[in-house]
Amino acid sequence: MVRAPCPFLLMDNDQPSTHSDRRRQLQMARSMCWHCQSEVTGEYFCERCVKVQPVSKETDYFTCLGFPRRLTLDPKKLEAKFYELSRTFHPDFYQTKSTDEQAISLSNAAVLNTAYRTLRDPIQRAEYLLALETGSVKDIRTSPPADLFEEILELQDTLEEYRASDRGSDQGHRLHTTLQTEQEALERRKVEMESQLRRLFADWDKLQDAGAATSSAKAERDRILKQMRELLSHRTYINNIVNDLAATIA
Amino acid sequence: MAYSDKVVDHFNNPRNMGSFKKDEEGVGTGMVGAPECGDVMKLQIKVQNDTIVDAKFKTFGCGSAIASSSLATEWLKGKTINEAQKIKNTDIVQELNLPPVKIHCSVLAEDAIKAALADYQKKTDEQPADTK
Repeated sequence: MVRAPCPFLLMDNDQPSTHSDRRRQLQMARSMCWHCQSEVTGEYFCERCVKVQPVSKETDYFTCLGFPRRLTLDPKKLEAKFYELSRTFHPDFYQTKSTDEQAISLSNAAVLNTAYRTLRDPIQRAEYLLALETGSVKDIRTSPPADLFEEILELQDTLEEYRASDRGSDQGHRLHTTLQTEQEALERRKVEMESQLRRLFADWDKLQDAGAATSSAKAERDRILKQMRELLSHRTYINNIVNDLAATIA
Repeated sequence: MAYSDKVVDHFNNPRNMGSFKKDEEGVGTGMVGAPECGDVMKLQIKVQNDTIVDAKFKTFGCGSAIASSSLATEWLKGKTINEAQKIKNTDIVQELNLPPVKIHCSVLAEDAIKAALADYQKKTDEQPADTK
């Protein structure tokens, strides 16, 4: 169990060693302490006046939680870091501090919660990374999957038919069986897409670890991001129809 | 935020729901989707002498998406190709009184119109002139 640290102890020169140097480099955007105007060199606290520092709006969630932009994260490590920082920023520890510090701790805690919620889920994590890497999702134009759309709309028709039918009748039973088969097939596709996504996640991490700036690395990056965008979109479409199917025929 | 009466009306009584055969003469099909929310929209137009004589849609999505596409088909009927190009998502937003979180539904409807028009254009361009 890690002891709940008083945030103001963090300014000691022997800071907790969980902060890797690489991470500190990421984190230490040179900026001024809001309180004493000295340069902030610590991570979340001013080393001079010991005041808590706001997490910058520009800080992405990976940096906030001290992880590199990778798509395979150890959930245990992520959770541990989240708990550690949660204690650091928890508003309860700031009740006797100034209003400014209270406000900062509150907003830091809020950012931290969102960051953790986003990175905890592999799909949301990938969506977030895509948004970071491509500016906006719309920057990668993928061709709409016309076949999939046709399929979804056809299924919707069958669903409508089923909803309107007498569930106890032969027709109702027949439709129920059809929809159930479709649902199982779609769920299998979803699983297959998710394993494809995991392969892309691994490709992405490998590329980042290699850190090459060659044109082939750039092409590989674009390929991964584009395929990821496509798979994530298709997965959303399938997910929606599967949920609809499940809710209707349950 | 509640849906406006117009959205509810289009949702409960969708106009022009259905579809044409894709390969039918004069039919243009637009198929679009919103990856963010998973909505899927299919909008079709039937054109005779440069005028849209009929339009149909099928939408799998929220009430606003259904209302947006339903309204779009109503507006399309009787318009020329050129006039149809001018339909903007903001017109739909205004007519249906869509809240900010639902603006993307109207964008989807505009995309669907554009896609249907483009598909029609492509089909007619490919056709030999004497069969027009």
